[in-house]
Amino acid sequence: MYKIVKVISYGVEYSHIIQDRGNNEFTSFPADENNPNYPAYLKWVSEGNTPEPADE
Amino acid sequence: MPLILTGTSGSTTLDSSAGLTFSDSSNQAAAASPYVLKNRIINGAMVIDQRNAGASVSITTTGSAVYTVDRWFFYVTQASKITTQQNQGSVTPPAGFSNYLGITSSSAYTPTGGDNFYVSQNIEANNISDLAWGTANAKTVTISFWVRSSLTGNFGLVVENAPTYNYSYPILYTINAANTWEYKTITIPAPTAGTWATSGNGIGFTLVFSLGIGTTYAGPSGAWAAANYNGVTGQTNVVATNGATFYITGVQLEIGTSATPFERRLYNQELANCQRYYWRFNGTGGATIFSAGGLAYTTTKGTFAIQNPVSMRVVPSAIDYASLGITLFGTSTTAVTSAILVTSTAESSLNFTVVEATVASGLTQFRPYNLSSSSASGYIAATAEL
Repeated sequence: MYKIVKVISYGVEYSHIIQDRGNNEFTSFPADENNPNYPAYLKWVSEGNTPEPADE
Repeated sequence: MPLILTGTSGSTTLDSSAGLTFSDSSNQAAAASPYVLKNRIINGAMVIDQRNAGASVSITTTGSAVYTVDRWFFYVTQASKITTQQNQGSVTPPAGFSNYLGITSSSAYTPTGGDNFYVSQNIEANNISDLAWGTANAKTVTISFWVRSSLTGNFGLVVENAPTYNYSYPILYTINAANTWEYKTITIPAPTAGTWATSGNGIGFTLVFSLGIGTTYAGPSGAWAAANYNGVTGQTNVVATNGATFYITGVQLEIGTSATPFERRLYNQELANCQRYYWRFNGTGGATIFSAGGLAYTTTKGTFAIQNPVSMRVVPSAIDYASLGITLFGTSTTAVTSAILVTSTAESSLNFTVVEATVASGLTQFRPYNLSSSSASGYIAATAEL
């Protein structure tokens, strides 16, 4: 299960991803194609899953 | 022939077999190791287990690295065929060791085609510059380790370049007796060809202990090949036998054609070596402080800089966390609902991990706070793994 979070830093918006790994444990990483966690996220999306929207 | 040094108060004898004998007849038979800082493997004695603290893990993720004891990762193409744990099975480690990495097959699965099951360590290029692999000055290395398995036969080990993964040396080694620790040494001839990263903070090469291999990535034993091999033709597949065990420790990779005694490192040294790639701070109670003073920039969000225990290999690529809180100097703690690693310009760095944490409500804007655990199970970790 993944959730996308938007962050504005110095006027620039960045997307971050939070992975719920179960057992109340989480992993957070930038939504960046060079990030080593990003391919697993893309694979998860390609399997028909949809990330939860960003918190407001 | 011994070398005898004679002085005014007696003589000291240096002999290759007897060691060093002083004038008072005291003797140092052998140093703990002929020289130090020779082992290019980090956590070869499987002592450091920041992620799981000795808990069992089932490898359920396919197609990407799953780290268990520090610096060692599993790669599998089929989920839930392997469980692993520091000191799994609680057997007595080899003499001189306190820990080992235990692996147990969860089923009887026969690998086919591109199937791949292995435990591996990526070695940073900065740490192998002197090997000069891929040049005429390339050095031969010797790998030594202790292994114990419920199976006997020939098993597979591979050294391969990375991240290009197109030049590899598969080799078989034999486990002779079941459920018995055996010491193995394998000499890898110097590769004068192939593309190798010999400097920088990327991967220099990877050392693979194969646990199961199909035909696609299995190569012939005992020869360098311009190919991506992760296992060895004819090897025993641990995953093919339900309940089979495979335990390793004391892994060393050093220059030379023979193995020398395992390089002992102080616990704090080995922990620091591991923290270059991954660190984790655990809560020890309610609000264990993880960061220096941060700031609430709204009533629900705060930003916190955590000093990395050592300078990391690269800017952390991810944080892991559980049960975090934002605390006002320990007097009150508000549970964090989500946290993100901030890596945008001028924030996280080699020396600091910057975390933005969100709570439901209750912070006072522009008041300093600390990031903390909210329970004893709370933790935060940062990764910069290869």
